[in-house]
Amino acid sequence: MARIRLENVSLTFKVRQQGRITLKEFLVRQMFRRSVNPFLKVRALQDVSLEFKEGERVGIIGHNGAGKSTLLKLLAGVYPPSKGTLTVEGKISSLFELALGFEHDASGWENIFYRGYLQGETPKSVRAKMQGIADFSELGDFLNMPVRYYSAGMLVRLAFSIATAIDPEILLVDEVLGAGDMAFQAKARQRMCEMMSKARLIVMVSHDMDALEKLCESGIWMDHGQVRRQGPIHEVIAAYTNSVQAGQNRAA
Amino acid sequence: MGKYLQTVWQCRYFWLSLVRMDLRTRYRRSILGMGWSLLHPISMTAIICIVFPRFFKSVNIHEYIPFVLAGLACWNYITFVALQGCQCFYQGEMYIRQFPAPMAIFPLRTALGGTIHFLIALCVVVVVASFLKQSINILALASLIPSILLLFVFVWSLAVIAGFSNVFFNDTQHLTEIGFQILFYATPIIYGVEMLAGSRLGRVIQFNPIYVFLKLIREPIIHQQAPTAATFAWAAGTVLLFAALAGFILAKLQRKLIFKL
Repeated sequence: MARIRLENVSLTFKVRQQGRITLKEFLVRQMFRRSVNPFLKVRALQDVSLEFKEGERVGIIGHNGAGKSTLLKLLAGVYPPSKGTLTVEGKISSLFELALGFEHDASGWENIFYRGYLQGETPKSVRAKMQGIADFSELGDFLNMPVRYYSAGMLVRLAFSIATAIDPEILLVDEVLGAGDMAFQAKARQRMCEMMSKARLIVMVSHDMDALEKLCESGIWMDHGQVRRQGPIHEVIAAYTNSVQAGQNRAA
Repeated sequence: MGKYLQTVWQCRYFWLSLVRMDLRTRYRRSILGMGWSLLHPISMTAIICIVFPRFFKSVNIHEYIPFVLAGLACWNYITFVALQGCQCFYQGEMYIRQFPAPMAIFPLRTALGGTIHFLIALCVVVVVASFLKQSINILALASLIPSILLLFVFVWSLAVIAGFSNVFFNDTQHLTEIGFQILFYATPIIYGVEMLAGSRLGRVIQFNPIYVFLKLIREPIIHQQAPTAATFAWAAGTVLLFAALAGFILAKLQRKLIFKL
């Protein structure tokens, strides 16, 4: 039973203008009221209430800095909500940053293990999937080389092959649809569709409206940390597109 | 607490692979590779064996050299893990930002890395001691196993405390470095406790938490007898205190950590 529920969730970051606090700053702050390194409050998410049920495929759209990736990370459990409650039923698999956990001096084969362990696999399960991952990446003998000598595209191929060799229950995807050269793109889309048909609940962030229309059936439009529109994906995309165009017309 | 340790155990392949990665990164592109882990304590031993007899003619060299070596191995272990522990959450920042995991695994990674080097150094000390004393007591050495386990939990707790402190107050690492420099002279590494008996410093040393671990490690190697039950009890109490503090910090600050990175 896969389910996600957010009730009045807010997430606020307190960021210092000049990085981290030093001992001197801490002592000075105790002595004087005002500080030269004040807090800035970033309201990343404001009073968000959403519910995703089993079988849903949700696409999240919005401008840069709207809080889309932050929302996904909150769902993944990386950020605890500052206010409100988050309820998640089911195991979460996330595709956030593909190239995470690569050891540059290790070969492609060894990195399959390292990345696999990061995703919660055991040595046995990685060994079972290893050949499938290698075949999908089409890197062949290059897998014996240290990863530091790979080109950017090869890294993406390997990372994508490893990251998508999972059986997800709840799948959270953050803009990983664009990957590799043209031939690989087609394969990658196919693989994403397969993964998404296996998953019981999908929440996806993307700027690719066509892909979202094909893959999702409901959508959410995030705007400055708030949910601006929620509903069938076509409606939400249309509303967002109109708003963006209206903004451009006003500026012109 | 048990449940938390279980979640740590569940991602064991991940942090074990991190430890492996750390070891390989440390010695990548070097010809000797892991051999350096062995060469460091051996060269330290050689230097001490050559230098100290010239300066300390009155002491019994056959006992003094293993005494200093065991003390140094222990001291390097504790300070290495504590100082590296200050950076453990920054080291693991990219993982923390992507995958939720129990925070204790990052200090654990540091503690395990230090433990491997400590075990190698300890082997060198045992070999040197048995060579100098011409005898070895296997049963006494067996008592090193619980001692090492206690010491491991101690340094893991230290790494947790150091890691969180450094994230919340960035000057912690510098303060810790200076603190250890001072503490070095309040710890009987180079001088024996008898040399300071009766003085005020002698009394302060008794309360140094590192002193009890030094005793645990030195007794089987130098005097070839297992440490007393009282020593174990004192060590267990120290470990419990630091572990409780580490557990408290984890419980309170674990979820806030990402906001401070």
